[in-house]
Amino acid sequence: MEEIGACFRKELVSKLLHLHFKDDKTKVSGDALQLTAELLKIFVVEAAIRSIRQAKAEDLARVDVEQLEKVLPQLLLDF
Amino acid sequence: MMEEEEEEGAEEQQRFSYRQRLKAAVHYTVGCLCEEVASDKEMQFSKQTIAAISEVTFRQCENFAKDLEMFARHAKRSTINTEDVKLLARRSNSLLKYITEKNEDIAQFNLERKAKKKKKLEDENKSSVEPAEAGVVESEN
Repeated sequence: MEEIGACFRKELVSKLLHLHFKDDKTKVSGDALQLTAELLKIFVVEAAIRSIRQAKAEDLARVDVEQLEKVLPQLLLDF
Repeated sequence: MMEEEEEEGAEEQQRFSYRQRLKAAVHYTVGCLCEEVASDKEMQFSKQTIAAISEVTFRQCENFAKDLEMFARHAKRSTINTEDVKLLARRSNSLLKYITEKNEDIAQFNLERKAKKKKKLEDENKSSVEPAEAGVVESEN
């Protein structure tokens, strides 16, 4: 997992969070932004890996939306 | 009256295109991450799958944001901190463990970075005992 180089930039995470805050005064600490970025990264990687696992179980060479749909319920429950 | 409606329409448009830009940024990062996973596992994702993962991730951010805001408010704070983020990861034991470890890594890394910066400033101060030309001081962010 450590070999994954791509990541969510802190600025993007900050904008994404602030988009949905109800209170103008709500702020996010720098460390919390970094940790949220990690959480989002792992969310995407889990979605990807579980979909691949599903595709392989179905003997497919490519992952399509159908495989994602099958793994989505459990993914959302885990998060 | 017509002007007010027009202004509201323009504002609505701006909010919409801001949202679209954020979605596009998420889509880009999701694409990069999926590409790395795909090449590691020697599989391919259809474009629609990447788009779908991107959509779900964007929506998940809304849940995260609202929860984080509520957790901080519950603790009578207006600044969300790492404890709040850890609470987000409570539903799966392995996820919680992973996030807790990442948090320690981040804290450790930031601590070392601050120590290095402090040492660099101290070294620079020591070496400027003789009158030197004005230098640029790095400001800490």
